[in-house]
Amino acid sequence: MIDILTSYTFMIVALGTVILAVASGIIGTVSVIKGQSLIGDAVGHATFPGIVLAFMLAGTRETLVLALGALLLGIIAFFTIQIITEHSRITLDGALALVLSSFFGLGMALMSFVQGNPDFEGTQGLSDYIFGQAAYMLRSDVYLILAASGASLLVFILFYQQLKIYIFDPVYSRSIGISNMLMNFMILGITITLIAVGLKAVGAILIVNLLIAPAVVGQLWSDRFFHVLIIAAATGGISAFAGTYISTAGNDIATGPAIILVLSAFVLVSLLSARKGLLRRSILKRKVGERS
Amino acid sequence: METLITIKDLNVAYQEKPALWHVNMSIPANSRTAIVGPNGAGKSTLIKSIMTLIKPISGKIDIDGKDVRHALKRIAYVPQKGEVNWDFPATVLDVVLMGRYVHKGWFKRPNRQDSEIALDALKTMKMEAFRNRQISELSGGQRQRVFLARAIAQNAEIYIMDEPLQGIDITTEKLIIDVMKALQQEGKTFVVVHHQLDTVEDYFDHAVILNKTVIAQGPVEAIWNESNIEKAYYEMSGHHD
Ligand SMILES: Nc1ncnc2c1ncn2[C@@H]1O[C@H](COP(=O)(O)OP(=O)(O)O)[C@@H](O)[C@H]1O
Ligand SMILES: [Mg+2]
Repeated sequence: MIDILTSYTFMIVALGTVILAVASGIIGTVSVIKGQSLIGDAVGHATFPGIVLAFMLAGTRETLVLALGALLLGIIAFFTIQIITEHSRITLDGALALVLSSFFGLGMALMSFVQGNPDFEGTQGLSDYIFGQAAYMLRSDVYLILAASGASLLVFILFYQQLKIYIFDPVYSRSIGISNMLMNFMILGITITLIAVGLKAVGAILIVNLLIAPAVVGQLWSDRFFHVLIIAAATGGISAFAGTYISTAGNDIATGPAIILVLSAFVLVSLLSARKGLLRRSILKRKVGERS
Repeated sequence: METLITIKDLNVAYQEKPALWHVNMSIPANSRTAIVGPNGAGKSTLIKSIMTLIKPISGKIDIDGKDVRHALKRIAYVPQKGEVNWDFPATVLDVVLMGRYVHKGWFKRPNRQDSEIALDALKTMKMEAFRNRQISELSGGQRQRVFLARAIAQNAEIYIMDEPLQGIDITTEKLIIDVMKALQQEGKTFVVVHHQLDTVEDYFDHAVILNKTVIAQGPVEAIWNESNIEKAYYEMSGHHD
């Protein structure tokens, strides 16, 4: 165990997943409070064909190239959702399901196409982006995560007050001269960027959990926005560390599922024991009921 | 009285369905102005146009002779009930501190002086005991007090409120009116969408009667009469020029 913990590779990979999860926990809290968490799910799945397309067009598996492909498809998916809901009778959940399955399906189809095709070499690494395989992360993968997460956190801190007002009361924020369009763009931009750079570590299917689960834990333990953010960041960070360790120690466990399992354990424990969790709530209700 | 807000030929439509047409009005400085009219008359639309929250087809809205966009900081807007995100984990003090935003520098972080101003505003609204309470746990009247406290903390000259008295308790209603009258003494101006016809004369000194277009406007004692009210409320066939 000590061997793994002190190994240079493990440390650098864990550093990447931890800071990714911290940044995701924070921006995810915003999405969850805004009621937009399922948009993250659809966009997360939709980035996968971007990976394969970038690989096909550029003929390389270079970190930055694949991440740009993912980013582009994430943006296209988001605008597709907007266009569908604005210009048709399809509701938001319908549009999300539609975009999620069709984009992800496209990614799977493209992947089987290149995998059976002798024109493309080095295709075996592509499937890592479905469930995530942190153990195979390159140093350049980690650097990209560090840069993107660091930049995201910096933007979040710079615009913290504005974001807070915007999330709580968009009409008031607009009235005091905050650009709601900029705020919305920032939240979405950070979300899609983190998804794009985190795919190799966590995978397209589960990455949305990094956004949602820490926020849920935070909301169960506190009703102060700042504290919710801190708890979400800590939950994400600890889960990422533990999950990366489990995945590195046990050879065949993909990193994404390992991190998500730890996160789910946090959610479960919080649901049972947190002040605002299910158990305490029902006890509280019973007490109030007895009194009256 | 001197004119503060001037609206010239304002036309607003939602998806080509007109909501306001040929609206011309002036709101005097230091007045308590009521905006009155039946449901769907365009009262909220008018308020949102002043706050530049919607884009009109045409028209001009000036404050002290300058485009309203340059004067937004001088306006405190109190939203209608349904407009805020009640899932947001904020305390009463957090919400009132948002009013200090317009006075802050780059990072916009509130300091101790801002907290004192916010607490004073809560005192004015008799809500200081609730400062650490979750806003979503409050009653409708208490929430309304908090929003007015935020407007007070903003230290604006102009208060714009959309039906602040709707669905609140009578104590809060009296308090809001008292505070409004006290702030008028300090030189503030109020523009309030008001839905009770029987209290217009008690609560306001100026009124605009609206139904898609302006039916009447002026000092309450001059225009608040049956003929104008009837025109707005019972002649629903419209008022095309
Ligand atoms: N966002 C909107 N989209 C379409 N129609 C709207 C919208 N907001 C208001 N309307 C319509 O415009 C008219 C005026 O609405 P509103 O300004 O809310 O009236 P009031 O506040 O006086 O009740 C109503 O017929 C209403 O249905
Ligand atoms: Mg209205």
